[in-house]
Amino acid sequence: MFLPLALLVAALCLALAAWATWFVVADRAVVLRQLWGAAVVEGVLLLQAVVLAVVQARGDQDVDGWLLWGYVVTQLIVLPVAAAWAFAERTRWSSVVLLVAALTVAFLELRLLQIWGA
Amino acid sequence: MTAAPASTSAHRPTGAGAGRLLVAVYGVLALAATARGLYQVATKLDEAPVAYVLSLVAGIVYVVATFALARDHRALAWATVGFELLGVLTVGTLSMVDVGDFPDETVWSQLGAGYGYVPLVLPFVGLWWLRRTGRTAAVDTPPSGAPPAVG
Repeated sequence: MFLPLALLVAALCLALAAWATWFVVADRAVVLRQLWGAAVVEGVLLLQAVVLAVVQARGDQDVDGWLLWGYVVTQLIVLPVAAAWAFAERTRWSSVVLLVAALTVAFLELRLLQIWGA
Repeated sequence: MTAAPASTSAHRPTGAGAGRLLVAVYGVLALAATARGLYQVATKLDEAPVAYVLSLVAGIVYVVATFALARDHRALAWATVGFELLGVLTVGTLSMVDVGDFPDETVWSQLGAGYGYVPLVLPFVGLWWLRRTGRTAAVDTPPSGAPPAVG
């Protein structure tokens, strides 16, 4: 149940990263539509947190709870903060910030998958 | 506490332009190191108290450095970024000489190899950036290029 969600998160993050990369190359600042894109990713992350909580509460999965939730909470913080920080800058550097944030969330998703599967 | 920038107008703000990216990378590292430190202190402090408390302290200093760079508090930024440079060099070296005291589990261990050496490179970039933005704006290049299209 977790794997499809994780793949969805990774795919959305990479799409957002590609979008940001395009803007970096085009020397453009982050636009509002990209923030909506980040909001979609954040929505899926929230859904993922609920799914993980339910599966964990059922006790089906033997997993280090502290470690898992450390990653889940960290991952939830990244995009909103980065989006606000990026949007205040009106140069191409704002797109670089969004790119870094999207790749960070994708990397954290990979670590989450490893923690869950271990 | 007010949110007003601490430096005078003669300096370029540390959190603008390329500084945006520097602060973002600092923020990611701050989050990673603090979360890891909290996890270590909360779950296994008795295994290696020195290393894990150090881990948490490192994380908190990264948070302060991120805040200082973002808000243009130059003195605080110099102090915290300098502290990190000392930390990564000291702990990094010690961890390679004597693994017993510093298990391979802090952000600074093995000179930050577990984080792609970002903890080693970042303080140098941070200090360079502070020096660069500290010069008066008149002799420096403009903070940014032409304003990009918005919307």
